[in-house]
Amino acid sequence: MTLHEGESEKSYVVTGLALPVALERRLEALGILEGTAITVLRKKPRGAMVISVRGARFAIGRQIAENITVIGKEAR
Amino acid sequence: MEHSLSIGFAGNPNCGKTTLFNAYTGANLKVANWPGVTVEKKEGSFKFHDALYKLVDLPGAYSLTSYTMEEQVTRQYILGEDVDVIIDVADASALERNLYLTLQLIELGKPVILALNMMDIVEKRGMEIDLHRLPEMLGIPVIPVSARRKTGLDILMHAAAHHADGESDLPLIHHHQAGSVTHQTRPHPYEVHQPHAHDLDRHQRLTMVYSRELEEKIDALKELLRVKYPEVTNLRWHAIKLLEGDREITEKYPVDAPDILDRSYEKDIINQKYDFIEEIIQEVLVNRDRKAALTDRADGLLTHRFLGLPIFLLVMALVFFLTFFVGDWLKGYFETGLELFSTGALRALEAIHVSPVAISLIVDGIIAGVGGILTFLPNIFILFLALAFLEDSGYMARVAYVMDGIMGRLGLSGRAFIPMMLGFGCTVPAIMASRTLETSRDRFRTILITPFMSCSARLPIYVLFSSIFFPRHAMLAAYSMYLLGLLVAVVSAFILHLFDRRKGGQQQASLLIELPEYKSPSARTIAIYVWEKVKDYLTKAGTTIFIASIVMWFLLHFGPGGYSDDMSRTFGSLLGQWIVPVFAPIGLGFWQIVVALIAGISAKEVVVSSCAVLFGIGNINSGAGMAALQSALAALGFGPLNAYALMTFSLLYVPCAATLAVIRRETGSWKRTLLSAGFQIGVAWVVAFIVYHIGLLLV
Repeated sequence: MTLHEGESEKSYVVTGLALPVALERRLEALGILEGTAITVLRKKPRGAMVISVRGARFAIGRQIAENITVIGKEAR
Repeated sequence: MEHSLSIGFAGNPNCGKTTLFNAYTGANLKVANWPGVTVEKKEGSFKFHDALYKLVDLPGAYSLTSYTMEEQVTRQYILGEDVDVIIDVADASALERNLYLTLQLIELGKPVILALNMMDIVEKRGMEIDLHRLPEMLGIPVIPVSARRKTGLDILMHAAAHHADGESDLPLIHHHQAGSVTHQTRPHPYEVHQPHAHDLDRHQRLTMVYSRELEEKIDALKELLRVKYPEVTNLRWHAIKLLEGDREITEKYPVDAPDILDRSYEKDIINQKYDFIEEIIQEVLVNRDRKAALTDRADGLLTHRFLGLPIFLLVMALVFFLTFFVGDWLKGYFETGLELFSTGALRALEAIHVSPVAISLIVDGIIAGVGGILTFLPNIFILFLALAFLEDSGYMARVAYVMDGIMGRLGLSGRAFIPMMLGFGCTVPAIMASRTLETSRDRFRTILITPFMSCSARLPIYVLFSSIFFPRHAMLAAYSMYLLGLLVAVVSAFILHLFDRRKGGQQQASLLIELPEYKSPSARTIAIYVWEKVKDYLTKAGTTIFIASIVMWFLLHFGPGGYSDDMSRTFGSLLGQWIVPVFAPIGLGFWQIVVALIAGISAKEVVVSSCAVLFGIGNINSGAGMAALQSALAALGFGPLNAYALMTFSLLYVPCAATLAVIRRETGSWKRTLLSAGFQIGVAWVVAFIVYHIGLLLV
């Protein structure tokens, strides 16, 4: 599944990123890598969401969330 | 006194770096741009134990790649000769993310001190940081500070002074030492931090050691670099950058080693750094999973999916209410002061028998023009105070999230709304802020629409004309300008978006922004921010408006026949009358107004100061001054509808010469600068035309 399909207040683990290189490196510099745990804090109907990664909060747009694949934390 | 030590302040955005910097330097800042780029450079001095230190506030950055200009500026400065020691400011409540920059700074090879800021938040969350183990693992001094409460400042400076020679007296106690157990506790995809038997001694001195594969490549590259570029001092850092495929370093120091550089190892390097960071966090951070309740509760309301937008509009309405209401209340004192000064100056000049022409220049030209503008200072002060509060509290980033949906429909990310918000203060820094946007297409579109946001320089025009012509609804008339500006910006963005889509524009950029912890804003940070803006305003009054007032006075008192008391035979009038036909269809067919608007391209306040000079009104913002202007305008047949058309045109046409200069610098193209100026004048004319003609139908 993609992060975009994630639900509020649930945690996921990143399994892959499929974005332009510069953006992908930027996300990685922020600590969003394969294997990183992400908690979705809240979501808007149109798709921007607030996530918590490594103790920091980020707002990310739909296009980014759709290109991050994750699995549920429990599923792992 | 010579600076004995030069200290660079580096850190993530929102880590409290600027607050800490301000705590040392106060308002004694030299603000300029970094050579060659429009990224703000702040420099200050700090006296410590009879020595003068130079402090430099580096741009906030999450990493030191060459992908963004801020990061390039930071690393180039640190690599340069001019920095002796780096203070890395970290938000202790987000230590994990902040340590990534720390590791990169350490790799750069200059002495680094880690200043752990916001320890109070860490404690409030019930977390603890092991301040013994952290410096052991990093090999650099770690000093807990509170920028807001000003604790730990002396200790930090002391550490910087003593650590500047780079001779660390701290033992680096390695996790990858033989016998260490920490790395074996978790399974790992990479072969990281295994004891390196063959070069263990050398790696003892390094904080960050990569996998054996990478270390072997680094060693080989170091050797190649050493032979080919003997001038390179930090071989290890350059070797790592080559492995990352860093654009700048690869171009500057190409090495021919296809077997070593068989691919980009950037991802591996990032991953291994974060692996190390995770180890650090596991060892030094206790109780890491406790929640930050307050920020989450506040966000529950402020970023609510339905309430977020109405709350934002309410906040902005409150800002403008304060600007007008409190500003007007303070304004009275300024007017009395100006009145006294103006009459006093007139009497004094008459008493010493200065020629009437010179008296007219000083009293009707300079004092009327510059002084008239100074009386608006209270409104400007309150506006910037409110904006500083919004920025420093952490709310601005939430606005980007709240507006993302609407901005998405305009083909922009929510982040583009931040420059627009800043545009309520001043267009120049707002346009500079657009550089935080990811793509150049987004940047240019934001630069095109940001000038429509009503900046503080337009405030005097609204205050003056709405108080004269709409006495009962002055605040409403002025507020409508802000909404109209926002509306025009949004509609323009939408049209540009449709235009781009027809041309088959690429995928739009997506929002990516950190939402910092809310904090009660620091009084000092706000005071310095507001003082800088007030200073800018006063400087502008003393320079641009001063000169514009003198030029206006000459244009309006001299004609082809020399000095003339009859203004209609002066150069100003002749110029105005020549252009009047263009402005007649929008209700502004008065040569005086045309002259004021043209002069207003130098700075928007000049529209008001020019009116003061044009109609010879001494204290234009006072009750008597307004009455005089009203009767002068009424004699021309200029009524409320003309005033509203004037406000509309002033809102939308070219903001000022400084804006044009910054657009030129940011876009790097005269063609685009002229395009944007033409666009603004065109839009201003069309909207004023519509407003005027709708008005004519209604009246």
